[in-house]
Amino acid sequence: MVQTMSDKQTVTPENGSQEFPQNTILKGVGVSVGIGIGQVVVMDRLVTEICPCRILTPEEIGDELARFENAVQEAEKRLNTIKSHIVADHPLGDHSYILDTHILLLRDKMLYEGTRRGIEQGRQNAEWALSEVMSRISTAFESVDDEYIRERAKDVYFVGERVLRLLLGVSTEKKIHQLPGNSILVVHDLSPADAAQIKRESVLAIATDIGGRTSHSAIMSRSLKIPAVTGLEKICRMVKTGDTIIVDGSTGLVILNPDAEMMFRYRQRQDLLRNYHQSLLAYGRLPAVTRDGSRTIKILANIELVDEIDIALAHGCEGIGLFRTEYLFLGREDLPSEEEQFEAYRAVLALNKPSPVTIRTLDIGGDKIASSLNLPPETNPAMGLRAIRLCLNLKGLFKTQLRAILRAAHYGNCRLLVPMISCITEIHSTKAIIAEVKAELGSEGVQFGEDTKFGILVEVPAAVAIADLLAREVDFFSIGTNDLIQYALAIDRLNEHVNYLYDTLHPAVLRLIRQVVNAGQAYGVSVAMCGEMAGDPVNVPILVGLGIDELSMNALSIPLVKKLIRSISYDDCLELTHQAFQMQSAQEIHDFLEKWIFEKFPGDYFLSQQ
Amino acid sequence: MMTESEILERTVVIGNELGLHARVATAMVQTMKNHSCHVTLVKNGMEVDARSVLGLLLLAATPGSELIVRAHGPGSQEAVEQISRLLENNGSDHVR
Repeated sequence: MVQTMSDKQTVTPENGSQEFPQNTILKGVGVSVGIGIGQVVVMDRLVTEICPCRILTPEEIGDELARFENAVQEAEKRLNTIKSHIVADHPLGDHSYILDTHILLLRDKMLYEGTRRGIEQGRQNAEWALSEVMSRISTAFESVDDEYIRERAKDVYFVGERVLRLLLGVSTEKKIHQLPGNSILVVHDLSPADAAQIKRESVLAIATDIGGRTSHSAIMSRSLKIPAVTGLEKICRMVKTGDTIIVDGSTGLVILNPDAEMMFRYRQRQDLLRNYHQSLLAYGRLPAVTRDGSRTIKILANIELVDEIDIALAHGCEGIGLFRTEYLFLGREDLPSEEEQFEAYRAVLALNKPSPVTIRTLDIGGDKIASSLNLPPETNPAMGLRAIRLCLNLKGLFKTQLRAILRAAHYGNCRLLVPMISCITEIHSTKAIIAEVKAELGSEGVQFGEDTKFGILVEVPAAVAIADLLAREVDFFSIGTNDLIQYALAIDRLNEHVNYLYDTLHPAVLRLIRQVVNAGQAYGVSVAMCGEMAGDPVNVPILVGLGIDELSMNALSIPLVKKLIRSISYDDCLELTHQAFQMQSAQEIHDFLEKWIFEKFPGDYFLSQQ
Repeated sequence: MMTESEILERTVVIGNELGLHARVATAMVQTMKNHSCHVTLVKNGMEVDARSVLGLLLLAATPGSELIVRAHGPGSQEAVEQISRLLENNGSDHVR
């Protein structure tokens, strides 16, 4: 059965953590390899769970009401600021009403007067009164039959939390960037915005209650080189800040209360891995040419932050195959200006010059929500208003980004990548807007990259089906495997109950990829791949055999992938691909590819799995 | 001419495919800002203030369900008209 987003299991709050026996082992999903040993810092998401409770003296009531009023006014002011930005930026489309709803909710009888009553009559401090009212309201919403209405409880939380944070004097963001050194971050879930704030040097490992292998937190942990285990269900409640734990991102195990012997064993494994990765780095500097010299694959890196370029270059990337721009938009309340975006894009382009940088336009919506856009929650976000659909809808926002990208393109080798194309009309509309932006820049006398290449992310099965039609319109294709697999197999990759069905090597997936490559070759359009699939060593020979021109991956995978390509022959890859296409199940194909790699590269196979 | 103590009632059927959802509730509360009368909506014995988005949502009024719009005070007539219109065709351009 398909589960909806709202079906996620809830965590029962227990006060404090209990003492667990030595070497208690929890099993989760290892999403980013490596081992972290250190002290836990628990960061809970909702401030409602940490609010202080206090009985007021009768004299304090007046001040407390005023404090609450100030917080509500400030929240109103901020929401209005956000709203005014949006109004200025685009013709108030279909979605700005949700901001009005939030503004009204601040003064809603149930929320506002309910809280005032708690302060006046219950003599509760404002935080306490407000969180109690919030939880009463959400209980009322939970009993409603209609799923759409039930979801509105989130709006109450969105608004209530804003006021709570103001009352508590905490910033509207989690203070992840202020973690002490050598921490193991334990959170219920990690949003992309949270992940974007993590400093590599202060976080040794991450452990979360929910999420699967391809959740955004998993992808971020991998690209930041931080070992991570997700799907531990209750770890937030089981450990407390200061506990020592071991997180093994390779096996998905977390060990609470490790004894001296356990610590020693894990430290030894840590050393072994470190040495192996050091020895691989040499391959990063070499081109990925097959052993027989007949085929060269370009190997690029996926990045989300400008800061990641150093790591990418150090691992031997030949350009950036995917620069995700969402992170400029996440974790903040306003929208990034053209100048701010321009600076970020220019930095990435200039640092990689003359290698290419593929900049993906805003791929927001779905599971990544920018608070600045205040998008209404959707019942099926993966299929809703997101990516290019959202950009064509919010034209002002899109034009600002395109201006920034095209201007930055002047400073390097820029390729523009548009996500989630599902029909030719979207390409036509996008190109029309690009032409409009170029004309404007031209008439303003601003320098820009006139010959910026235009490509699309092939990630909707419909785009694969019409790849021959789309190929005539673009300079390049990039296959986004994460979403393509999710849409083709109808698997929510964030749902830990079904994500075991998410099979990269499903025969359907391989056939879809082949279809894209064939269309690309027929029309002289290069075909890149930028999903997680591209960086898994087991998949390397079949991707070479399929004829992919460029692989873009997490920087850390680059040295090993280059080593493998340099050690195999193109003919072997073609033969292996031919055999795999005779097979009937993902499991069969996976076993076959794994055995192939294992027999040829036993040492790498073992160590890359660690 | 109505007096202020008179209570006005009208039965309406929700004419929107999502029911009384956030957009309609928001429009309704905004409409009520122009009125000083007291308006409530009643469904299955549950009565909520037309000035509370949360109250309106909690009615869980699905498409096709029947509501009573109840009002008293100055300008009730006009308020009932406007509120009923919002409920009947949801205030957007989805004409059914």
